[in-house]
Amino acid sequence: MNPLAESKVNILGINEIAPPIHKISFFNNTKPNAEIIIQTIYAHLNGIEFILSEKPAGAPASQQELKTADKGDIVILALGDCGSCVTWLILDAIRLEKKGTATISICSDKFSSFARKLAQRYGFKDLRIIEISHPLAGLKKEEVEHKTLSIIPKIKNILNIS
Amino acid sequence: MSNKFLKNRNSCDCMLEDDLKQNKDFKNLKDDYSISTSKDEGEIIIDPDVEKISLDFYQKKFTDGLPIIPPTKKRVQKFYQYSLGDPQELLAILPPLRGKASREKIAINAVMAGCLPMFMPILEKTIIALSSEKFNLAAINATTHPVAVATIINGPVIKKLNFNYKAGCLGPGNLANATIGRAIRLCLINIAGAVPGIEDHATLGSPAKFTYCFAENEDESPWEPLHVERGNSPSSSSVTVLGVEAPLNVNDHRSQEATKLLDTIIYTASTPGCNNSHVPGELLVIMSPEHAHTIAHEGWEKKDVKKYIHENAQVPVNLADRGGRKLDKKWFKKDMVPLTRKLNDVIVIVAGGPGRHSMVAPGFGTSSQSVTLALDSF
Repeated sequence: MNPLAESKVNILGINEIAPPIHKISFFNNTKPNAEIIIQTIYAHLNGIEFILSEKPAGAPASQQELKTADKGDIVILALGDCGSCVTWLILDAIRLEKKGTATISICSDKFSSFARKLAQRYGFKDLRIIEISHPLAGLKKEEVEHKTLSIIPKIKNILNIS
Repeated sequence: MSNKFLKNRNSCDCMLEDDLKQNKDFKNLKDDYSISTSKDEGEIIIDPDVEKISLDFYQKKFTDGLPIIPPTKKRVQKFYQYSLGDPQELLAILPPLRGKASREKIAINAVMAGCLPMFMPILEKTIIALSSEKFNLAAINATTHPVAVATIINGPVIKKLNFNYKAGCLGPGNLANATIGRAIRLCLINIAGAVPGIEDHATLGSPAKFTYCFAENEDESPWEPLHVERGNSPSSSSVTVLGVEAPLNVNDHRSQEATKLLDTIIYTASTPGCNNSHVPGELLVIMSPEHAHTIAHEGWEKKDVKKYIHENAQVPVNLADRGGRKLDKKWFKKDMVPLTRKLNDVIVIVAGGPGRHSMVAPGFGTSSQSVTLALDSF
């Protein structure tokens, strides 16, 4: 007999990003160098208001943390660069999508495949996930900034801004 | 070929189960199943397909790397006799795969692990416990951290099913301990999808991920057992699941005073590399009966032990702030960070045989809480 279980999947759609974007919410899970990634992105998106808030890595955001993050037109979550933090980055992004808020999740390329599979299993196969080169932890600030610069065009493209 | 296994071979493809039926009581069989060094007695005839099926399952990543018992329909159906409901009933959805954990799927994995059919109610309850929100199985299965699932058994079921709670209870040699822990891991692999390197992202993994099940030595404990501490009656049985690392030994042969012995325990536990150092959470302390009696001899209750460990197991701030999650200043006690948030984060179990060794196992920090469920059928 087959030991594998079937998955329970309810297919759901992500929220549209409706320009113009007035306010972006950054949701920092406090992983090493997540803050530098956020600051670097922030520095390259001119004329947009920002909200900064934190959530735990490897565990779900509290209702209050979700509520705070949910005050932007879109939420950018960082950083998924390990198994448990990717899990709760993606699951919290999905919680926000279910509330009607569009999200972008930043995950390292070593864990982005897992992030996509996880999102798919929870019904969000099209969840916006941007890959950043692994590793991020243990690097100097300049190295993290350099890696972050490479993903900024993708973020601008999703946000439909120049 | 006088082995009793061979005599039973034609009546069923599960010889051990036939024996159980004919010999009434599992506990009394334990000596019969000890294989001696005699060549004849040690010789076992196996189904020629077993190796092929085992290898096939291994290649499909259905196993933990060890050989399995093929889960034939006949074998699986025997587990239904001890199950608490319909085989197709869904007991839980297990992440990250969001696999449907039906009684049937649990039974199939239990057969593979080498469980006996009567272990089924324990496995069912364990899977339900693992699916509790506060256990956070999604993160435990996917993390790079080497957290494993420890399963602790309490109550009359310990003796009824012959769990090992004495010497070597965390090691090899006992069918219930070994196969129940293994079955849980196989369920996590095949139902939850926690395949190492695919959905289980543990950087190094852990030997505790093969099997990690034991029982409390209630007979020799000077204190109330875990399930009673958590609100169950002493005559009831329970299963507790914890997300913890592999245990670390505490060798103390010389301390004659409670505080000195507990200091050995807290200094062993207070390591900066564990999750609890930056996100305080549960800490499992597996105390040997001799250590427990040294402490209890001075009149210490279990709550006193927990309080002492909670207040003194700590790591310097400068060493604590090195983990995956930023160290929150709310945990600071001057320039130290406690490993536990509250007294009841210290989980004290008495287990093991003679000797002056205890063990400690840090948890998964704030991200997981242990769960205890009653085993009503025992």
